[in-house]
Amino acid sequence: MNAFAALYDKEVRGLFLQPIAWVLMAVFLLVVGYTFATSLALTKTASLSQVIFQASTVLLLLVPLISMRLLAEERRHGTLEMLLATPVREYQIVLAKFAASMTLIAAMLAPTLVYPVVLAWFGQPEWGPIYSGYLGLLLLAGFFNALGLALSALTSNQIVAATLTLGLSLLLWMIDSLAAVLAPPWDDLLLQASLLAHFTPFATGAMYLSDAGFFIGGTLLALFCAVRALARR
Amino acid sequence: MISPASDHRPGLSGPVLLAHDLTYDYGRHRALSGLSFELARGEVLGLLGPNGAGKSTCLRLLTGYLTPTRGYATLAGFDVTQDGPAARRHLGYVPEDPLLYPHLTVDELLRLFARLKECPAPSLTDECDRVASRLALNEVRKRAAGKLSRGFRQRVAIALALLGAPELLILDEPTNGLDPWQVIELRELIQQLAAEHAIIVTSHVLSEIERVAHRALFLREGRLLGSYVIARDQPGELERQFLAMTRPSA
Repeated sequence: MNAFAALYDKEVRGLFLQPIAWVLMAVFLLVVGYTFATSLALTKTASLSQVIFQASTVLLLLVPLISMRLLAEERRHGTLEMLLATPVREYQIVLAKFAASMTLIAAMLAPTLVYPVVLAWFGQPEWGPIYSGYLGLLLLAGFFNALGLALSALTSNQIVAATLTLGLSLLLWMIDSLAAVLAPPWDDLLLQASLLAHFTPFATGAMYLSDAGFFIGGTLLALFCAVRALARR
Repeated sequence: MISPASDHRPGLSGPVLLAHDLTYDYGRHRALSGLSFELARGEVLGLLGPNGAGKSTCLRLLTGYLTPTRGYATLAGFDVTQDGPAARRHLGYVPEDPLLYPHLTVDELLRLFARLKECPAPSLTDECDRVASRLALNEVRKRAAGKLSRGFRQRVAIALALLGAPELLILDEPTNGLDPWQVIELRELIQQLAAEHAIIVTSHVLSEIERVAHRALFLREGRLLGSYVIARDQPGELERQFLAMTRPSA
């Protein structure tokens, strides 16, 4: 626990001291803020579903830029060798990096909580889709982040890690677009693998445990792969 | 002068490190083949060989960073592969040209590694103070590691390795990039540390190994060619032995 806490501290400090963290936060808030303002002006309804969908797309693009450096940079700088010469275990390194990058993602999302406050001030929003939307965003970002961490464990090149994460995330995001032209059971299989299909219920307030289980299971599997990749070296 | 690899200085306590038949393959290439040796507390071992001889692979196997294809190593009685965390509690490792974490100050680095090395909380600050004083780091403790000179960075890396008073210190090319004064300081430091630790040091500067080590292992193409007990009263003999043993035609 002490090792995890020590590594978490180091990672959070490392993430927030990098200019890229603040640039990513600024870009995220700019795009999501623009979506909030325009959707409010055009629809005049107290709903955040447009914002939640837009935020999910922006996270798909930005999370690989956060996760790409997590292990690839340690490998490139040779600091991974120093870390692994201490009694620390691989899973502690992976979990600390995951937790720290999730902290950054949560910090990106936190300022957008002002939007529901604004909606509540001027109207009567439905709170269910807002709660489930934010939970869905965290679960989705956790999945992207864990996937990026696993791919970052396989290479010392950050660009390669980011590109692979983005490509794979994008593929899984829209994989169900082919489902309409495929025969059973392949259509169902693609729907089951689709991130968008599992995320949509969160954004619309119809949350199912199976969708949460999909994201949590996928995240745990990716983290397990990251630990294995780190242990194989 | 050439002696079996298991020779070590008489009168020293039992082995801190035991390597037996250590072998490692990178794909089809055998980087290290059947290396066996022991190292006792108070002994400084020089690991010598031309580039590609298998020195770095050997060190990575001893630190547990790589898993041997065959054979094993024990550190303080713990198998480095099977019982890695327990073995690594007795290890201090300084890689070649350590980059450290540039955004952390020396103090933060010391506290980070003290926690990773499981130094108990009440004595953590004392332990950091101890190694900082020993390595004369007090004047740079508040400075970010990324702004340190090469010499100070090397000292910080050694300080991190010394946290928790490990039984074995591994120094990979510690004199690389240091100026002559820093080399002399480092040599004196290794000589002092040898009283309390077993030390493995690699270097391409044979005269430095001759001054600090008690024994040298010669590697070439992943194989142990022999071991040489260094005689302080025969300066230059190590170089002659090295050339004789590692020359490609030898």
